[in-house]
Order: sequence, then C-alpha cells, then structure tokens
Amino acid sequence: MHKVLVVDDEEILRMLIVDTLEDLEGVELRTAENGRDALDLLAAERFDLVILDYMMPLMTGIEVLGELGDELKQKTAILMLTAKAQEADRNKALAAGARFFMAKPFSPMELMHVVEGILSDSGSNL
Amino acid sequence: MTREVTSSRSIRTRFFRTIVVLFALIILSGAAFFIYIQAEQTKLAQEREILQHKTDTINQLAGTLSDVFFRARGYVALKNDNELKLLDTALTNLDSILDRYARLNLSTEEAVFRKELQNFYIDYKTNILPKAIRLVEADDYAALRTAAQEGSTQSVNEFLAYTKTYKLRADTALNEMAKHSIRLANEYTLFSFLFGSVVLLFFTWLIWRIIRNLINPIEELQGAVHSLAAGEEILLGQLRNQDEIGRLYDAFLDMARSIQDKEEELMMQNEELQAQQDELQEQQTRLQRSLAEIESMMKALDQSSAVAILTQKGVFSYANENLSAYTGYSHSEIIGFTYRLFEFQNVSSEQIFGKLSTGGVWSNEIRMAHKDGSAVWIQATIMPYLNDEGVIYQYILIANDITSMKSVQQELADTLKHTEQTKVMLELNNQLNHDITYTLDKQEFADKFIHFMNRLYAFDASFFLLVKDNIVTAKGIPQATVDRYLENGNNEMLYRLQSERSYTVKRPAAQSEQGISPEPVFSYDFYTTVVNAKNEILAVFCGSRIGHDFSKEEVNEVEGMMNRVALAIERLFMYEEIEHGRKLNQDIVNNVNEGIQFVDTAGTMLHINKALSQMFNYGEWTDGSMTSRDHWLNHFIQVINETEEIRAFYQQAMSPLSSDSSSMKYSIQTELLKHVDVYAIPVFRREMRIGTLFVHRDITREYELDLMKSELVSTVSHELRTPLSSVLGFTELLLSKTMKPEKQLRYLETIHKEAKRLTELINDFLDLQRMESGKQQYITEHANLSEIVMGVIDQYKLSSTHHVLLVDEARNAEVEVDKDKIIQVMTNLLSNAIKFSPDSNEVKVHLFNEPGQIVLQIQDSGLGIPKEQIGQLFQKFRRIDNSASKRIGGTGLGLAICKEIIAKQKGTIGIDSVEGEGTTVWFSLPTRNGDPGRQEEDTLKWNTDKEVKPNVMIVEDDYSLSLLLSEELKGKGFRVTHHYHPQKAFDQALKTPFVAIVVDLMLGEELDGWDLISMLKEDSRTESIPIVISSALDKSNKILMQHNVRKYLTKPYPPGELSTTLHDIVKVSQASGEVLFPESC
Repeated sequence: MHKVLVVDDEEILRMLIVDTLEDLEGVELRTAENGRDALDLLAAERFDLVILDYMMPLMTGIEVLGELGDELKQKTAILMLTAKAQEADRNKALAAGARFFMAKPFSPMELMHVVEGILSDSGSNL
Repeated sequence: MTREVTSSRSIRTRFFRTIVVLFALIILSGAAFFIYIQAEQTKLAQEREILQHKTDTINQLAGTLSDVFFRARGYVALKNDNELKLLDTALTNLDSILDRYARLNLSTEEAVFRKELQNFYIDYKTNILPKAIRLVEADDYAALRTAAQEGSTQSVNEFLAYTKTYKLRADTALNEMAKHSIRLANEYTLFSFLFGSVVLLFFTWLIWRIIRNLINPIEELQGAVHSLAAGEEILLGQLRNQDEIGRLYDAFLDMARSIQDKEEELMMQNEELQAQQDELQEQQTRLQRSLAEIESMMKALDQSSAVAILTQKGVFSYANENLSAYTGYSHSEIIGFTYRLFEFQNVSSEQIFGKLSTGGVWSNEIRMAHKDGSAVWIQATIMPYLNDEGVIYQYILIANDITSMKSVQQELADTLKHTEQTKVMLELNNQLNHDITYTLDKQEFADKFIHFMNRLYAFDASFFLLVKDNIVTAKGIPQATVDRYLENGNNEMLYRLQSERSYTVKRPAAQSEQGISPEPVFSYDFYTTVVNAKNEILAVFCGSRIGHDFSKEEVNEVEGMMNRVALAIERLFMYEEIEHGRKLNQDIVNNVNEGIQFVDTAGTMLHINKALSQMFNYGEWTDGSMTSRDHWLNHFIQVINETEEIRAFYQQAMSPLSSDSSSMKYSIQTELLKHVDVYAIPVFRREMRIGTLFVHRDITREYELDLMKSELVSTVSHELRTPLSSVLGFTELLLSKTMKPEKQLRYLETIHKEAKRLTELINDFLDLQRMESGKQQYITEHANLSEIVMGVIDQYKLSSTHHVLLVDEARNAEVEVDKDKIIQVMTNLLSNAIKFSPDSNEVKVHLFNEPGQIVLQIQDSGLGIPKEQIGQLFQKFRRIDNSASKRIGGTGLGLAICKEIIAKQKGTIGIDSVEGEGTTVWFSLPTRNGDPGRQEEDTLKWNTDKEVKPNVMIVEDDYSLSLLLSEELKGKGFRVTHHYHPQKAFDQALKTPFVAIVVDLMLGEELDGWDLISMLKEDSRTESIPIVISSALDKSNKILMQHNVRKYLTKPYPPGELSTTLHDIVKVSQASGEVLFPESC
C-alpha cells in the first residue's frame, strides 16, 4: 500500500487530484490544505509521495521543502505541481528537493501515469 | 706750577732764594751728619766701657773667688784664724761683687753662669764652707778630704776656669769693638766726601740753569733786533714769564710792531697808487677796444639789422640801408620824417613811448605795413639816450626783419592745430571703432553712434534709426517729430535713400532754429544710409546743422564711416542671432527631461543641464563654469549606487580610444530610488574629438512598470491557471472515466463554476486594466448616496445568511458620482463583508457626514485582516493569506477596482481591521454644497451635547418609503437606524437605546410588524420604548391599543407628520426624564 499526500490550497484541485488518483490500486490518499498541515502529517506518518502545490498562502511549496528533513526527502518522492511554469521556478523547485515537476493546468491522466511510475519505482526501491 | 710761580717773580728774588735754600740745606745736612757720628762714637765708647766694666767685674770676681778659695785652703792647711778672717773679708768682697755683677746687663750665658755661681756660692758659703770649717775645727781632715772630693773643689776650679775664659773673650770683644770703631770712622770719611761731591754737582747744575735762563731770551732778543734792523718779520713769541726779560720782550715787541705798522701803511699807500695807475691804463685800453668793438658792431649791425636814430621828437635823423630795405621807403624818404611814417599794426606808438619815457628799453615784434602795402614783421628794439641832465635827447632803433620767420611760425601753428584736430578725430574714430566693436546692445550702439557723430560734425540735431528693429536715437529732435517721421515719412525717405546714398536738404531755418539771428538762416539736413552687402538699408542717419552746409569731404567721410557702421550692425545682428540661438539651445537643453552633461577630453565638465543637476542634487555648476573631472565625478559617484561600474563607465566613455557610444543603467538613492539609463556619445568637430556627451534618462517609471508588468503577468497566469486546471482536469476525467451520472453532474457543476470564476476574473481584470489605462468612461450625475446605499442593501434583503443594518446619520448625502460605479463598489464591499464574516449574520452600514464629505462605513464582525496585510489589500490579486479566506475565494481584484473607482470620484477608501474581530471598510466622497439649509435650520436642539442625537429605528421593508422617512428624520436631527427584519430589529433594540421605533406592520413572511411589537412589549428591557406604527392598514384594528402603540400613521402620510410625532414624543420624554407611554392613548 502506497501512501500519497496531496497538498493544495484550492479545494477543487485537491478534489480533482484525489478523484484522479483514487482509481489506482494500492494507493492511500491523504490531503492537506496548507504547508503547515502537510508538515504535521509528514512528521507523523510516512508517505511515499507528496504532491505539493507551489503557490500556497502561509507557506509556499518551496518553504515546505525547506523545512522538510533531508532524510524524509530521500525517502519521500516529491512532485511539485505549479501554475508557475517558468524554467526558473522549475529549477528552484528541483534545487529545493522536489524530484518531479508538473505544470498547471495538468492532465489528470498524465498525472496518474506519472504517479503510477513514481510509486512503482519507489516500490522497487523499498 | 713751581715754574710758573718762579717765573712770575723777578730773577733776583728767584736766585737769591735758591741760593739761600741750598745753603741752608748743606748746613743742615752737615750738622745732622756730625751729630750722627758723634752719637755713634759715644755709643761705641759706652759699649766698650760696659764691656770693660763687665770684664773688670769678672776679673774681680775671679780674683775674689780665687782669694776665697785661697783663704779657705789656707785656713784648712794652716788652721789659722787670720786666714779665716781674710776669708770672711774675701767672702764679703765676693758678695758685693756678685751683687754688682747681677745688676749688670747680662747676656743669657752670663746670666746662667751667674745663677750657677750664685747657687754654688750660696751652697759653698752656707754648707760647704761652714762644714769645712767645722771639720777643720774638728781636725777631721779625712772627712774634709772626702768632702773635697765630693766636688766642691772641682766646682771651684770650674768657676775659676770660666772666669779666665770669660776674660779672654771679653778681651777679644774689646779688640773687635776697636776695629769696628776704626772701620766706622773710614766709612764716615767716605760718605762726607761723596756728599760733598753731590752738593758741588747740584750747585754747578743750578748755576748752569740760571745762566741758561738768562742767556737764551737775550740771545733771541738779539736775533730779533737784527731781524728788525734787516726789516724781516720778527719771529718772536710772547714770553710767558713776567720777569725783567719778559718786560723787555714786551717793550721790544711793541716797538717792533709799531715800526712794522708804519711801514705797512706806507706800502699800502704805495700799492694803491700803483693800482690806480694800472686801472687808468686798463680803462684807456678798454675804451679803445670798446670803440673798435662798437665800430665793428655798428658795421655788423648795419649789415644785419636796420639801425636808425630818432630825435627826441621822433624824427629820423639817421637810418641805414636795411631800414629802407625792410620798409620799402628810401633813405631820403625816411630821414627828416617822424616814425609815424610807418603804420604799426599790432602796437600803438603810445605803448612804445610810454615805456621809453621811463628810461627803459622797449623791445617787441611789430607788424607794420610795407610801402607796397604788404605786412612786414619786425623785431624792433628802441633805446632812449639820455644827456648829462638825465633828459632823453634821442632814440636808437635797431630792427630786424622777421617776416619770414613769422610766416614759418604761423605755418607751424597752423600745422599743429591741424594735427591736433586730426588727432582728436582719430581718437574719436578710434572710440567709435571700439564702441561699435564692443557694443552688443543695439540701443546702446545707436546712442553711442549719435554721440560720436554730434561730437565730430557738430550737428544741431541728429537722428539714427535701425530700420529692422525700429530702434531710434534722436538728439535735439522732439519725440513727436521722431514719431511722425517713423509713421509717415519713413517709406518715402527710404525710397529716396534706396537710390541715393546720401543727400543734403537745404531749407529755411525753422522758427526755433532761427534763434536771434536777424537775417534769414538756412538749415541743412543731411541724410545718409547704412547698407549691407545686399544693398539693404540697415539704418538711416540724419543730421541737421543750422547755417552750415556740409562739405564734400565731410560727406565722403560720413559715407565711409557708414560702411564701417554697416559691418558693425551686421555683426550685431549676427551676435544677436547667435545669442538667440545659444539661449534657445540652452533652454532646450535645460528643459528636456533627460539629464545632459558635456565633458571635454580632459574630463572638465563644460555643461550640465538643469535636469541632471536636479537628478544629482548638484547645484555647484553655473553657466560658463568649468568643473574639474575629479570634482563632479566624485560627487556623482557618491550618489550613484553602482560606484565601481559607473567609474569604469565614465573612464571608458571619456577615454580618447573609445569612439562608439556606450550606455549603462544605474540607480541613485536620492529621496526615492531612481533608475537611470545613461549613454555616452563621443563628440567630434572636424574629425577632432572635442569631448563626450552624456545623456542620463530617468527610467524609474519604465523600470517599475516593467517590474510590475512581469509580476502581473506571473500573477495573472497563476490566477488563470488554477480555474483552468479544474476545468481541464474535470473535463478530462469526464471524458476518460466512466462514472455515475451524479458524479458527472457534480463534475459539470464544478466545471461550470470554475469557468464562471475564470470569466469573472478575466472581466475584473479587463475592467481594472481599462480603468487604470484611463479608458474607463465615468458618467457622473447628481445622486443621493443614502438612496444608493439603501438600493444596494435592498438587493441583499433576500440574502438569508446576513442581515444588513443601516445607520444613516448623513444630513447631506448629495454627491456627484457615477451611480453605477458606486453601486458596483457598494456591492463589492458588501459581498466581501458577507463573504468574510461567515460566522456572523450581520453587517452594519453606517453613513455620516464629515466636513465637506460623506463617509460610508461597512462593518463586519468577520475574520479580520492581519495588520501588516491591510496596506496590500488594494493591490491586484491580493487576498488575505489564510486558509479561511482562501476557502472563500474571489478574484483578488475587487478592492483594487473599488479603489480605482473611488479615486476617480475624488474620494478616498480605506480599511480598519482587527484580526479575528472584524473589518471596517470605508470610503468617503465629497458632498455637493447645495441646499445646506435643510440640515441646519430644523435641527432640533435636543441636548446641549451635540454628539448625543436621539436614536430612532425604522423597521420597514419598503426601501423607498424607508428612504423617505429616513431623510425626513435625519433632517430633523434624529439618528436613524434601518431594519427590515423583525428579529434583527428586536436584537438591535436590545443593544441601542431608541427614543422611538417606527414599525411597518407588513414585513417578511415569517414574522410581521405585530410580532415585533409583541416581542418588544414582552421584553422588560424594551417595553417602555414608544412605538409608531407606519402602515397601509387601517388603524381601526384596535389590537394595537393593547400593545401600547404611541402613534398610528396610516400610509400614505406626509413625512412631516412622522417627524412631528417623534418630536412630540421626545419632547415629552425630555421634559419628564422618562419615556411616557400613556395606556389611554
């Protein structure tokens, strides 16, 4: 069973992502509406993948990554999801520790495939 | 001194005294010497006597002693009493001798000897001798011998021996003394001889001196007598001594002097006679010579000058040839005639004879007429001759012809005068040249020119006109004439001058010019022009002279001068043009927005324009000043943030190697941060680099706009992508998944909602863009803000979640606004208030006046806004960053739009908020000033404290009626609170102390007015509040009486009625201090 955390401040988007991924087998989905909640969850449980929105109030995705420990970042795959699609933003995200990057608006199917891929890789890793 | 004393005495006395003194001296010294020798000899004799005496005494002593011993021994040997008797005698003898010896003047040795002898003697006399006698008497010779052996005998012998020795010594001493005496005698003899010789010597010297003193002056006197006899000068000094010789001297000298004086007198007389003779001789020669000289002089005079002799009466008695030659009159014509023959032209004969009659010589230059009538200049000298009685008996005239000299002199003077004139003119010309070269002002130029012309040509009146600029300078011409000329004659005159370079007009003098002249006078007006190379007339000069025509030279001169003036005027024009161009350029450079700076190749700043000075706060540069490179560059670098870059840029740009333009961007921190773009262009003149031009352009606005634009693009793209993600995502899910119809519907609803949001967003954004770019049209009209507010609130009446409470205190709600836009703002603000206060059910709207404006507040008790974010709220896409507000959503453009609209209506908008407690958004608009009376005149003076107004609540769901009532009550000074919901109205009544509540009976569906009244009356807190029913229903329904209703107003009623009713109610309550609610009513 893979655990995936979806962090986005927009409720509709959280819903969209959850609805997209809920059909995947062996995946348990959790959501958080801001960075602070996400960090609390990550501290409490282990997740295989975090889908993290870039632009959020209170804490941006980058700031969340900044507070995430290196060990956690090693074990957990981070997929940065953002409306900021510029090259600079992508680099910033990757530098902060996000291993994957996807621009908004995204295709749910593509997201599903990407998540599937990540999870199967991480599964073999584990 | 001594000498003087002696010399004043007579010789006799002197020598007498000297000899007496000397004699006395010799006698005295001889006597003294004799006495001295005598004394010495006496002393010697005494000494010898003493010694003799001593020796005798010693001898006696020795004898006596030997006698004693002899007698003692005799007694011892013989034991004879006789011997003893003799012994006694000897002892007595010895005693006396010893005594005598002791009294002698003894030497030390002698004294010691005497002492010992004394002691021995005493011992001998007292001890030894009696003992020996006793022994002898006892015949004890053995003991005697012993005693003798003990030493007494020996001592006796020693004494005897001593005496012998002493005697011997005394003899020797005596001998010595005798020898000494003889030696002394010899010495005295020698001394006497020497003394005698010295006295003799001194005597000889004395005599020699006396002789000398006597002989010398006598010899001198002898010599003097000889010389006197020989007639030589007597060289005899005055003797100082007043003795006989001295007196002889004086007498001789007196005699000699008197002889000499006599002789000299005779000599002098002789010399005088001689000299007189010489002089006579000399005078004779001189006279002879003078005669010869005079003769030659006369000859010379005859040669060179005219000589004439006039009698006392002035008749010529003699005249030489020259006089005839000078005057043209022949000799015979002159002789016998008086001087009046000649006409003196410059002096009168009285002047001449006046001077001559005093006996003086008259000499002067005379101008007189030649016989042929021409003028002759003569240098004449006239001398009177006096006879023995001192009376003039004739005159001598000596004259020279100086006519030619005079004429030369005259010529010279003329030339000088001419030269002087030329010099003055040259100076004037020079002055003119200077003036026209250095005068850059046209009026000044014209003034100077006129001044010059007047000085040079003595115009009585003159006029100078610079045609192009109509600049005029006139001297001696009335202004009216000048004006007339400029207005009328100008063209005509110019026309003539066009063809004729200059001309002169001769005219009869005007009345004023005529002056005092009795004859008719003519005036001459001279006109000339200044033309340029193209033969255009630049200036006109006109000069007028009264009674003096203009010579051809003058005309030519002036015309020539005009050519110079033409050049000067053209130069003036050129200067003006250049100056104008320069000013224009400077103005252009100073007025462009870009900062401009020109730096020469050395780095010296030659120009900086105003914009750049201001940009750098650099006030040190003034027009024309040169600022060294370090000075300005350091200042610039201090201000500029990019210190190193700008230094490098300047260095690169100013370097002679760089020939391309370059540019850079920098920022300066003055009051605000400014961004500047500077570019440098090397400037060349005839392919020579002369410097570098720097142009600094303030690009702060572009820079900020750029920054804002890119930020905006980024934000907008984010804002758009989020709903787009939803739309695309859900659509894709719908297309790719099979799902239940309910879920499909939910998806579609979501898509619809998000698409709507997207549209809203785009619309808002475009709205804002339109407004910001100034393309938005506003249609302003008179409106009543209360009305607008109520209208908007009316829209929310049906909103179930929130109740909107209106407190309308505004007495003047008249504004000039775009109604629709204000409605948009209100709607936006109200919906925000509702949206962001999800846990509350009320929003309060408060309307009131402030001086010159009306303020609207919308107060919610919602989430509130963090203090630090309040300021950002009016920016685009700013929403409160917290999850609660995020959930509520929105475009984030609403407040920005509101701000834009309110700003365009000349109002202000603001937010006050406490996080967690609620937010108050307000805006104010300027009120129209019309119709102020309504607000003031009827205002009821409810209370001295103006702040406390009576609160009235209107519970009415008809918006227009509510508005009407509200206006009426506000006008009467009430504070009106609106409600349309009975429950909310009741809650409000609990909070606010109302003086009365106006209730409409037909309210909402759930509760109506009656329910409200019941609620109010049933609650003890509100039961005392008077209620006024405003209803369309008939008041016949008596039920209201049960509910203590104060007043029933049946609609429609005039608004005044309500206010009067309320007024009455309040007056009653004010009077009694409590709210009266009579049951019977």
